[in-house]
Amino acid sequence: MAITRFKPTRSELLPGQRRLSPGSVTADLGLIIWFVFSLFPIAWMVILALKNAQEQTTTYFQFSPTWSNFATVVSDKGTQMTSVDFKAALLTSLLNCGGAVIVSLVIGIPAAYAAGRWKYKGSSDLMFQMLSFRFAPELMVIVPLFVIYNQIGLFDTKVGMIWVLQLVTMPLVVWILRSYFEDLPEDLEQAALLDGYTRTRAFVMVALPIVRPGIAAAALLAFIFAWNNYVFPLILADSNAGTVTVAITKFLGGGGQAYYNLTAAAAIIAALPPLILALTIQRYLVRGLSFGAVKA
Amino acid sequence: MATVSLKGLSKSYGKTRAVTDLSVDIADGEFFVILGPSGAGKTTTLKSIAGLVDIDGGTVRIGANDVTLVEPYHRNVAMAFESYALYPQKTVSENLASPLKSGRTGKYTDAQQRERIDQVTTTLGINHLLKRFPRELSNGQRQRVALGRVLVRPADVYLLDEPLSHLDAKLRAAMRAELKQLGAMSKTTTVYVTHDYQEALALGDRIAVLREGALVQIGTPEDIWRRPADTFVARALGQPEINLLDGEVEDGRIRLGDGSFDVPVPSAVHVRGGDRVRVGLRPCDIHVIGDGEAAATRLTGTVVLAERLGRNIELTVELGGEQLIVLASGREGVDEGAQVSMTFADGDVHVFGAGTDPGDDTQRLGADDKVEAAR
Repeated sequence: MAITRFKPTRSELLPGQRRLSPGSVTADLGLIIWFVFSLFPIAWMVILALKNAQEQTTTYFQFSPTWSNFATVVSDKGTQMTSVDFKAALLTSLLNCGGAVIVSLVIGIPAAYAAGRWKYKGSSDLMFQMLSFRFAPELMVIVPLFVIYNQIGLFDTKVGMIWVLQLVTMPLVVWILRSYFEDLPEDLEQAALLDGYTRTRAFVMVALPIVRPGIAAAALLAFIFAWNNYVFPLILADSNAGTVTVAITKFLGGGGQAYYNLTAAAAIIAALPPLILALTIQRYLVRGLSFGAVKA
Repeated sequence: MATVSLKGLSKSYGKTRAVTDLSVDIADGEFFVILGPSGAGKTTTLKSIAGLVDIDGGTVRIGANDVTLVEPYHRNVAMAFESYALYPQKTVSENLASPLKSGRTGKYTDAQQRERIDQVTTTLGINHLLKRFPRELSNGQRQRVALGRVLVRPADVYLLDEPLSHLDAKLRAAMRAELKQLGAMSKTTTVYVTHDYQEALALGDRIAVLREGALVQIGTPEDIWRRPADTFVARALGQPEINLLDGEVEDGRIRLGDGSFDVPVPSAVHVRGGDRVRVGLRPCDIHVIGDGEAAATRLTGTVVLAERLGRNIELTVELGGEQLIVLASGREGVDEGAQVSMTFADGDVHVFGAGTDPGDDTQRLGADDKVEAAR
């Protein structure tokens, strides 16, 4: 028997299909306008990065695109336009943020596990205390930190930067991962215990692989937060441990002229590492790996 | 292979008392069932034996050793979890190999591991699933794998926590039969937790009935079924539930309902005239008889509801202001609205103490009740 092809009639719509109504059209139009509006700063930055020095202050869209700004930014050794070695700053940023994320993961994962697994007197206070580091504006602690860093010789060192950036990343890691560990059924680790594994091995063998998506998400978020940090490197670092966020601003002036086009090009380059990282690990960000282990 | 002995086991979660002063001795090689409704402390008891909960009081002994303070991985017990607890990132064969690889259940070469896994998967009929991940299995298959992870290695005690509760009725019956065979095959002491009285009666060498963390009765399935220690046990076993009727003793018989019908006092029960008692009659012990048939005790009532349940018909019979549930074979051809005569054996009459309100649980009355003193 031949199978007749399913043809939706006018009154029947396929799943997900919607009829055009004035309301939905208006909503779509509104969303498009909002989309253009919110993307405009990024578009403007890209345009600006492609303009030459003469066109950089024009407000119309006519210009002759050039890649030379990117070349200038990357090749700037702190001699031509500004006092900054942009490539070195980029590398420093990678080291600082990577270091801070690694420190946060190494200490934060066990901390999050403990916080998610065991409730004891004051455990929630402890967690809140950790989060409260994020409440205080960075500017509030920066002056005492500056004094301390100067005295113990951590000023403008990468170790010092990692130390201060993990203040930003650690609470994030612990709080995100704690919820993952809380969701993790305890039965799995108990099964491992009865299989003859110690608690530590049960944690490494069972819990850790299951929360891997959570670790990826937390690490990515922590990296972005550390990468975007501006105040700490601005005050606590100079040419040795200075990060890319500070380096970008150096193109804005100091030498008498503000190079907006170079600033824009530098900002685009600086945005690339987190973007690439996010794209690389996005497949780990999909949750639901533990599905099937335990009944719903 | 070992005995298990709990003494005065107590555990509270905050203000909730999960288990209160529980003492049980389980013999070597016994298939021991813990039966109780949800929240009765069954799983807590099981996890106490496994060492997965820190108990508040009492001792746990496995074999000759006091293991109360021993870590789970040193107790040499294997447990199947109600949730199966299969490692999601490992295949079935890796899941099964896990207890063999830890080094605490004995040393196995790769070949020995393969042999053991092969043996257990063949027994459980999951040979073809070895390369699959838990998420790719049906509930029944997961349950087998969880069971396989228990059976794959030698342990002193097997602990099974409601292993059949998430299966559909047919599969459950099939797995119950398989478990019975497995239990007979392996001579390992097994503690089996369930809320299903049929599983308990079918599988257990002995059954302990728990209620709100306390032991109500312990005994063989026969004991528990024939001589329930109180109305709670009586109601927990059997579907439909046992009929419980309040009555008064008069001239060696118990007058029930509005006084228009009565049942004899079983010979073992000593009551005096005027005593208030509660009578239990299982629906399956009441038989529908024809008008001409002679019977020592005859009850006559009106059928108000007849539900066909496949093999049987569940009749709701009204007599003397009370309703009796009767499980009839269905061949009698009784219909709703019809008059029906019923009888039962004197020995099937359970007599309990009178309660002040219908929901109360009251003790069984009778002199021969060895079962009343638990153990």
